[in-house]
Amino acid sequence: MMAVSCLTRALRSLTLSQHALLSSQAVAQTKLGTQVPNTLGQVRGFLTTAALEQNRTHWKQREKYTIKPIGMKKTGGRDHSGKIRTHGIGGGHKQKYRWVDFQRLRYEADREATPFAEKVVEVRYDPCRSADIALVAGGNRKRWIIATENMQVGDIIKTSGVIARMAVSANEGDAHPLGALPVGTLVNNLEIQPGKGSEYIRAAGTSGVLLRKVNGTVIVQLPSKQQVQVLETCMVTVGRVSNIDHNKRIIGKAGRNRWLGIRPSSGLWQRKGGWAGRKIKPLPPMKSYVNLPSISAS
Amino acid sequence: MAQCLKTAVPLLSQIVFLKDFKRLSAHVGASLLQVRRNFGSSRCLTAKVTTARKPRERVQITGLEVVTYGKRMHLVPGLAKPVNPQWERDYKDHRQYRASLGSEMPLHNENPCYVYNQRTNALEGVRQALWLTKTKLISGLPSQLLSLAERTANQIPDQDERVKNMIIHARFWVTTDERPGKEKYSNTLLLNLLHLCATLQSSHPAIGRRILTEKYSLAATWKRGEDLFQIRGENGLLLNCMDPLPEVSVNQEVNNTVDHVLETFYPVSPTIDLQKVHVYKEMVNCSGFRDDYPYHHAHTLYFLEEGDDSCKLRPEQFRAKMVMFAFGNALARAYKLYGTQPQRILDHPVTVQAVGTNGRIFQFMVFQLNTTDLSGDDGIKNQVWMDEDIELYDFAKVRPLIKKKQVKVPAGLSGYKPETFSKFLALYLHGAV
Repeated sequence: MMAVSCLTRALRSLTLSQHALLSSQAVAQTKLGTQVPNTLGQVRGFLTTAALEQNRTHWKQREKYTIKPIGMKKTGGRDHSGKIRTHGIGGGHKQKYRWVDFQRLRYEADREATPFAEKVVEVRYDPCRSADIALVAGGNRKRWIIATENMQVGDIIKTSGVIARMAVSANEGDAHPLGALPVGTLVNNLEIQPGKGSEYIRAAGTSGVLLRKVNGTVIVQLPSKQQVQVLETCMVTVGRVSNIDHNKRIIGKAGRNRWLGIRPSSGLWQRKGGWAGRKIKPLPPMKSYVNLPSISAS
Repeated sequence: MAQCLKTAVPLLSQIVFLKDFKRLSAHVGASLLQVRRNFGSSRCLTAKVTTARKPRERVQITGLEVVTYGKRMHLVPGLAKPVNPQWERDYKDHRQYRASLGSEMPLHNENPCYVYNQRTNALEGVRQALWLTKTKLISGLPSQLLSLAERTANQIPDQDERVKNMIIHARFWVTTDERPGKEKYSNTLLLNLLHLCATLQSSHPAIGRRILTEKYSLAATWKRGEDLFQIRGENGLLLNCMDPLPEVSVNQEVNNTVDHVLETFYPVSPTIDLQKVHVYKEMVNCSGFRDDYPYHHAHTLYFLEEGDDSCKLRPEQFRAKMVMFAFGNALARAYKLYGTQPQRILDHPVTVQAVGTNGRIFQFMVFQLNTTDLSGDDGIKNQVWMDEDIELYDFAKVRPLIKKKQVKVPAGLSGYKPETFSKFLALYLHGAV
């Protein structure tokens, strides 16, 4: 439809301005090196494909935060060129995206940078992730966050960026820097770099464990038993993520998988390679996200 | 790159220039002008989506003057492109208005103003409205109105019969469709009930000194603490009267409100969900009518739940809207009578009533403005009497509800409650008896 309108518009301008076109083409042929900008604004050529514009993620380009659910465009596993990049994705129930604020320690525009409290207004299901999300309101703003296990409507949750000498007695749902929490607490929504927003431990029912604190850094065990070393100023929320029985659910039928947007895999029998089968190997070494100056400089 | 291709294959090239592509794209989001296709080359290169170059940045160096080819009137390859000054139209064209930045507008103010309009969905509902208007809530209607309701039980001849007919008319007979929509039936029911109340004009001549108005815009400003608040908007149906409503509460009760402490809701701030604006008219107070309008006093406000698709108010938020707009009308009237200076206690408190409905459930409210000194949390408070969630009837079903071959709810109107209409009539006749 769009291609047709482009075509008609282009052809209309072509017919009206034949002389200008011919003259500009002649000019182009004679003067080889010079730049002749087409100031007349005539359409010299036209696109015959309009599929390009539909493959762009415009719905993601919103700058201002909002709690209103945003209409989503499904990709079907296709990338910007239109080809499938990931198989097995397509169809499924329509979903609206609720913009979750992963940076828990985000101060309001007019407020000072002090610890603040927020009230849980609603805990609801989110179609875009396995965990539940909670609408929290504090001061003059409302935002969505990942709900923890026992979050109820009316709870007050605290967010603080202060690291005191004594470890804080952590309540579930509160967010503190890693350095302020006692060793052994279950944590979720882990930030790797302070201020970036949480990128780890966000799935339903997951939780990491604070293993030990080493001068300015903290070592956390992720749900995959991998250990990570991060700065102690990274924010983290206390408790397990909500919807803990998510891994115990039974899909039951192929149709339910299709409702979730999972397309069937290829039925072609393919010889499995070295990746398949049970692997028993030692844990990978601890990953450090801290740029410490090397102690042994040899 | 486009020029090289043009010189290479001049006749067959179908190159689209960047600015032409702008016209071609039907989408408003023209961030797609980065896409360029080269048809002149091989097929694999055609499919490649290239990113566009950024337009050249104009650099300003202080002290150095840019030499442009403006004076020469034609392109000179080494000189810069001239930048022409922005042309401003010397007359005002309403169809081509470009809004300037908020900070440059004449009414811009450093201090923000929080505006409550008809689409506001207050998070804390009635508690937030009570804090904003410095009001004490009393549940249940005042005793005078309750006694008036008992007396009006059989004022209109065949009262129950006629009200039932009106409900059935609104719910079933209004349209040729099977069932009318909520907006239609709630509106029809309200107008029918008002019509029925107005038939008592022969026995209560004061009803003739009233008039119904809709789509009038209210504006009132007040200061609460350090923040400025405004209430603006078209609220609903207004019953205007030439005479003011009598006071509902005694002087003693009014003085007792000094002891009442307003409810706060930490950590949520009371200005949540209000529209924060920096461009506003200070101290705008308008009751919606001119000064020479004969029907000065707002008697009752009638609110309907439906009407705006974008804002769907839950019952709590709906009641908050009723409180706020009743307060707004009372405040506008008080400013007219006593001036805009905050008065600690008004000689004759301004009373405004409000009725809200969704077609079946009614909310009755009486608001009395005792003070316009709203900056502090102490002192005399205003009062509001609220009767929540009163049903007029239980069901009005088009098809009967049958469970296990037994009729649970019959078709037609069922569960009519006559007390609700007597309360409605009492609120209507208050001031006219």
